[in-house]
Amino acid sequence: MVHVKVRMRKLREVSIIPAAHVPLFLLWIRVGPGALILPKDVSKISLEFHKQINGGHMGAKKFWREMLPRIKYRNPSIPIQISRHDSPSGPALLHIYTASAGTPSADAASSSPEPTPTHTIDMKLQTSSLILQQLIEKTKATILDATEQEQEELAALEIQKARSEADRALVREKLDAKRREEKLLRLARGELEAASV
Amino acid sequence: MAHARSFIPPFTRLATCSIAIPKRELPRFAVLPLQSIRCASTKTPPPKKKKKTRNTFIQYDLKEMQQFSLVDAMQYIRAFEVGRDPSSAKYEMHVRLRTLKNGPVVRNRLRLPHAVNTDIRICVICPPDSAIAAEARSAGATLVGEDEIFAQVKEGIVNFDRCICHADSLAKMNKAGLGRILGPRGLLPSTKTGTVVTNVGKTVKNMAGGSEYRERMGVVRMAVGQLGFTPDQLRENVKAFLDEIKKDMGQMSDRISKEIHEVVLSSTQSPGFSLSGEFKAPNSIATKELGTPL
Repeated sequence: MVHVKVRMRKLREVSIIPAAHVPLFLLWIRVGPGALILPKDVSKISLEFHKQINGGHMGAKKFWREMLPRIKYRNPSIPIQISRHDSPSGPALLHIYTASAGTPSADAASSSPEPTPTHTIDMKLQTSSLILQQLIEKTKATILDATEQEQEELAALEIQKARSEADRALVREKLDAKRREEKLLRLARGELEAASV
Repeated sequence: MAHARSFIPPFTRLATCSIAIPKRELPRFAVLPLQSIRCASTKTPPPKKKKKTRNTFIQYDLKEMQQFSLVDAMQYIRAFEVGRDPSSAKYEMHVRLRTLKNGPVVRNRLRLPHAVNTDIRICVICPPDSAIAAEARSAGATLVGEDEIFAQVKEGIVNFDRCICHADSLAKMNKAGLGRILGPRGLLPSTKTGTVVTNVGKTVKNMAGGSEYRERMGVVRMAVGQLGFTPDQLRENVKAFLDEIKKDMGQMSDRISKEIHEVVLSSTQSPGFSLSGEFKAPNSIATKELGTPL
């Protein structure tokens, strides 16, 4: 297994792995856009959009990948479903279902065959932040700010990032110097053509 | 092996050195580029000291690792897996052992209380309309029969993931010649892989809900749950898995001592969460909140 320190740092770090596009980390999921608490009457959220981003579905995908985990983390009991269809010209919608005051709870809503969504947001050609803004406006969710401790952790991470960037530059300089030296030596031995330098 | 031949080279070298080379070397120096002043050393570096080999895995101190209760880890993992198909993404368990690098490994199959791979399609080759067929069907086999299946497979339709053959039907199956189609997919029943059996019902049941695990590099990994599981379901599965590993380790205790070092829970899209061993921390959320569908 990977060293404990490496794993711990990965858990704490706030960044996105570029290859997988999967944000993996603890602070990331607590702090940032989407850290909000939905009101109690919201019973379900469902999204539908295209499998690829062409046709204006990029915002929806970004919203799912970057903000939905935070919403789910803060509201663990609210089911969030995603269905992705095959046509770029198809809809990109976000449905918010609420258990209305008349019905007792979510049980009644789930027993009816096709509950109608209370709010619907069109996500086509919208950025993820705009989608989030509409979601907050329609559900009147309360946004959670970073606590003092979390802010401290964020600041510490920034310092660490700056330091590692400086270290990286230092190492790169040394490596470059070493490579230059090696190249000159190879040139001296005549292994390399002078013209190719 | 000291031959007379070994004395010859020094003589020849001496001769070439003293006469032939100096005259040829001199003009070449003048042609060399300016960089030759840098004196490239052609000497090979001294051989590195051989690293001492160790026969145990490096054990890290877990004080540096933040550990989570099961409910907390589930809350994080469910958030990271938001919007995924609840039956496809799975909870994985990694059990790190304190053990020797060389030596017997933990390896077994078990049947979890709540099955993880529920969508496995099993085909049973046995005479249809017999007691065996009925038993196989009730155990969860999707395809039961003989000639029908042979005909289907020969046409290229293979809609099952596992194939079991009853011992009495083995001769008939061999005659049908399915090897060319099923062989490359690893589906052809054979006694070697334990897929030619007499007790069909039991095997099907084990196959449907059972899973294999094995220690690799000091870590045992296995899928222990679907994302839709409630914390209680997952706890039962984790407990069953760990108990089974402990039992295996107990069986080989006369030969080698193994201990559990760390238990990590992760899933397809989430990081690994080291478990503290407790079900619920004082400030974790109510279990009920994780009982809802994803």
